[in-house]
Amino acid sequence: MQVKKIFLPESELPRQWYNIMADMPTPMEPPLHPGTGQPVGPDDLAPIFPMNLIEQEVSTQRWIDIPQEVLEKYVIWRPTPLYRAYELEKHLKTPAKIYFKNEGVSPPGSHKPNTAIAQAYYNKVAGTKRICTETGAGQWGSALAMCCALFGLECKVFMVKISFNQKPYRKLMMQTWGANCVASPSTETEAGRKILAQDPDSPGSLGIAISEAVEAAVTGKDTKYSLGSVLNHVMLHQTVNGLETQKQMAIAGDYPDVVIGCAGGGSNFAGICLPFVCDKIHGKDIDIIGVEPSSCPTMTQGPFAYDFGDTVQMTPLLPMHTLGHNFIPAPIHAGGLRYHGMAPIISQLILDNLIRPIAVHQMETFQAGITFANTEGFISAPETNHAIAVVIREALKAKEEGKEKVILFNWSGHGLVDMAAYQAYFEGRLADYPLPAEDIKRALADIAPLPKPKQYTASKI
Amino acid sequence: MKRDSTPPDDANKIRCPRLGHQITFSYCRRENYGLPCFRTMECWYPHFLVEDYLRKELSPEEWDKAFTCSDKTKTASLVELIEQAKERTRKSPDTGG
Repeated sequence: MQVKKIFLPESELPRQWYNIMADMPTPMEPPLHPGTGQPVGPDDLAPIFPMNLIEQEVSTQRWIDIPQEVLEKYVIWRPTPLYRAYELEKHLKTPAKIYFKNEGVSPPGSHKPNTAIAQAYYNKVAGTKRICTETGAGQWGSALAMCCALFGLECKVFMVKISFNQKPYRKLMMQTWGANCVASPSTETEAGRKILAQDPDSPGSLGIAISEAVEAAVTGKDTKYSLGSVLNHVMLHQTVNGLETQKQMAIAGDYPDVVIGCAGGGSNFAGICLPFVCDKIHGKDIDIIGVEPSSCPTMTQGPFAYDFGDTVQMTPLLPMHTLGHNFIPAPIHAGGLRYHGMAPIISQLILDNLIRPIAVHQMETFQAGITFANTEGFISAPETNHAIAVVIREALKAKEEGKEKVILFNWSGHGLVDMAAYQAYFEGRLADYPLPAEDIKRALADIAPLPKPKQYTASKI
Repeated sequence: MKRDSTPPDDANKIRCPRLGHQITFSYCRRENYGLPCFRTMECWYPHFLVEDYLRKELSPEEWDKAFTCSDKTKTASLVELIEQAKERTRKSPDTGG
């Protein structure tokens, strides 16, 4: 019988994370302080992050040891299995070999705990008693809630009120893991109280929830803030995935010609691809593809420029592929792919031609997800469907070319608590809406006055 | 959906790219202190003539507040927020967030 799943014994769990900062062909440009325009220093971030994570954020050390305490938690779901997608290959009649790394086996069902557990640990040893964060539908909030529980930390999640009321399952997951999940705006912060005073029935927003979480971290005793994407230390922690995958591919006797992941803020994509980017830097011939929605073409059409990481301009200025902090995509059906800016590390690797961005339309992604569910069985998160769509494209291309390519992709999470998106697809309530170039030009006007990084590139529009 | 300036009712939802779930136009319309979410026009323009609708609904001042980059809001930087929070903590050191 063919081997379907390639397991890695727990003894082979990577002992170190890989830090791409050590091998970046072009050094990263520093984030800028929004007030002074000067590079952000550790003290600027210290009110919301522990110093050990700030050190990782700026580290250029190639390998960083994974603490024993984190390894002991990782083994709850890691190493995750690598699958050979035989049934999808048969369905497509492709000579390509398709592998997928199943990150959906973690307790919350996604890759998010790979960094949440590390952040919880480093906060624990730094003396943090409580971690605050914000969440929309709840994928990140639930991951952090679990990881705080595993390290005996309090977890405070400011969940946008409309999500709080409409997405009961993620909220219940957070509560089950002991998190204090409150609807935002809340009466617990000045930011929340101010909004409620003006609009007692405010349904909340992501911007309000971020403001509340940051304020709670700054004002609370032994309290810090946690972010699940974009930042360098988040990318670092996610590399445990790609490092495992390299070992599993070696067991399978294959090496990928193509590595594919969906790219929102960049964390799940970074997790699978960065160790392979290292190989590419050192001479391997690999096509590494980050997939984004066509209606949110940050990587494919945005310039490499300084921009705020958020719409309320509270985060430091970061060099990134961006369409402006007020860029507004057309309706897309992948919650995790909502960032207007890509992680700076991923942006830089695109600039260095080590990663290739591809945009796909949402209808194609759902069609791909349904094909995958009917061949390999798993129902994917809407974000994950973006990667599957490009896997299918690449497999069909290999068929046309008669090449036995090896395709690897990150199956970043299941969609079992997000079936409403599938329902909308089945009911014919989805449509593709490519964003007009004129809209993108308008959005880019917002970042025109900001400082330009040394490697500034113009928009492709 | 017919492309006119009548907004869809709450039976019609689109997936919010920021929140990650389905939402109604009525949410987007009042998401920001009772004013529209800054993404409202871009998210809803394929569904109806949202700009025409909002031009009629909002005063010029409200329009600017909703859709023009507000220096006041956008200059609420992280550093400023941290400094404000520190000040509150100094006044009431036992107050948690």
